[in-house]
Amino acid sequence: MTIADGLKAAALLFVAAIVQVSIFSQLDVFGAAPQVVLVTLVGVSLLRGAIVGATAGFFAGLVVDTAMLGQLGLTSLVLTVSGYWIGRYGETTGRDRGHAPFLSVAVVTFLYAFGVLLVHFMLGEPAPAGAVMRSLLPTIVMNLVLTGPTYLLVRLLLRPRERADYATEVQLLG
Amino acid sequence: MVRRIVLAVLVVVALALLTISFRSPTSGMLHDAQSYGADALRPFQVAAVRVARPFRDGYNYVDSLARAKSDNAKLRKMVQDYRAQALLNASAVQQNNDLKRLLHFEAGPQYPRDFRAVNASVISFPSGAFSQQIVIGAGSDSGIHLNTPVVSADGLVGKVTTVGHTTSTVTLLTDPNSAVPARDLKTRVSGLIRHGQGGSLILDRVSKDQVVDKGDWIITRGTVDRRYPDEYPYGIPIGRVVAVGTSDIASFLTVQVQPLADLSSLDAVAALVPKHPRAKP
Repeated sequence: MTIADGLKAAALLFVAAIVQVSIFSQLDVFGAAPQVVLVTLVGVSLLRGAIVGATAGFFAGLVVDTAMLGQLGLTSLVLTVSGYWIGRYGETTGRDRGHAPFLSVAVVTFLYAFGVLLVHFMLGEPAPAGAVMRSLLPTIVMNLVLTGPTYLLVRLLLRPRERADYATEVQLLG
Repeated sequence: MVRRIVLAVLVVVALALLTISFRSPTSGMLHDAQSYGADALRPFQVAAVRVARPFRDGYNYVDSLARAKSDNAKLRKMVQDYRAQALLNASAVQQNNDLKRLLHFEAGPQYPRDFRAVNASVISFPSGAFSQQIVIGAGSDSGIHLNTPVVSADGLVGKVTTVGHTTSTVTLLTDPNSAVPARDLKTRVSGLIRHGQGGSLILDRVSKDQVVDKGDWIITRGTVDRRYPDEYPYGIPIGRVVAVGTSDIASFLTVQVQPLADLSSLDAVAALVPKHPRAKP
């Protein structure tokens, strides 16, 4: 990960976060809105791995929470873990798979929704599980629609790594 | 190993931020830093909203054209009704003023006469099912403070729950934490406006022996508790009753209210700052 790559990823996520809170949040399709930050994070994490994924998730969450004057750290916490998981998937079984971005977006949308629900519940704040469940399917569909173009854009800016850059850990069984 | 250390550090920092933010959501060093951060992000948010506005306006234009004919007939009927109502109201206002003068009646700040409207654009919108909040482009620099009521051209929108220097968070009426003392304008029945299903509101705490009719106007009840003075002045329109129901086991009526303000597509709002702030009791 070069400094230029880091700056590109930061700029991408910054724009995604601003677009999310200012434009996409007001869209309402069956009670759901597309999550462009999450989709962009999936692209960055798949292409650059777990460390960059976690850091990018933390940064994107911080921008969203600051822009919304919300509880600082809440979105960062969930996006950090999401970025790490997607990054690990990209470094291991997801590498070079065409379906990896779509599968990651579908799974992480589900996990993100329940992660945020869990944090809200643990803080003693309203955690409307019913509303989250109802909006989950349309959110996944909208995020999947966004995945193709967003991943292409991210891939254009952050070129895929060389094979030698991937993790080389091998777990010996038996 | 490095991966796990990075993850652990980031999670700990996020948890620390969350803890501090949760313990002091409206004051403190972190809140100030967040407020300055929000100020810095504001131009970007305003720019994004401006870029998206032509597309949104275009969609709204096409949508309104499709509904224009039926809306026109409905509006003509409403104008007739309101014209008749306005004549009666003008007479009642005159009589009310005369009686107040005779009684030397002392009233608190009245809406909208005793309030200055701080007009602000909406720069962020609610995200997901968790919070029904918007961020507006005006803050303490414009005289806005905590609990300042916020209205749109149609009616009550909510109140300010976080104040920055140039931005503020407004908790909408549809937020699960929102509760507004309200009354039925016709029958004078009082209750609490809380969030309902699908973007609607309910007038809660109305006992079964009281009367609320479909079509009644619901307005804010005004100051009723010395502990929370001036949160919402009397008379801000909130919505119209669309359904009244009851069941054998429920203690209260189920009064469903349709908000007058379209809370899902707010472009600009007005925060109501008192012209002459009263001394705290």
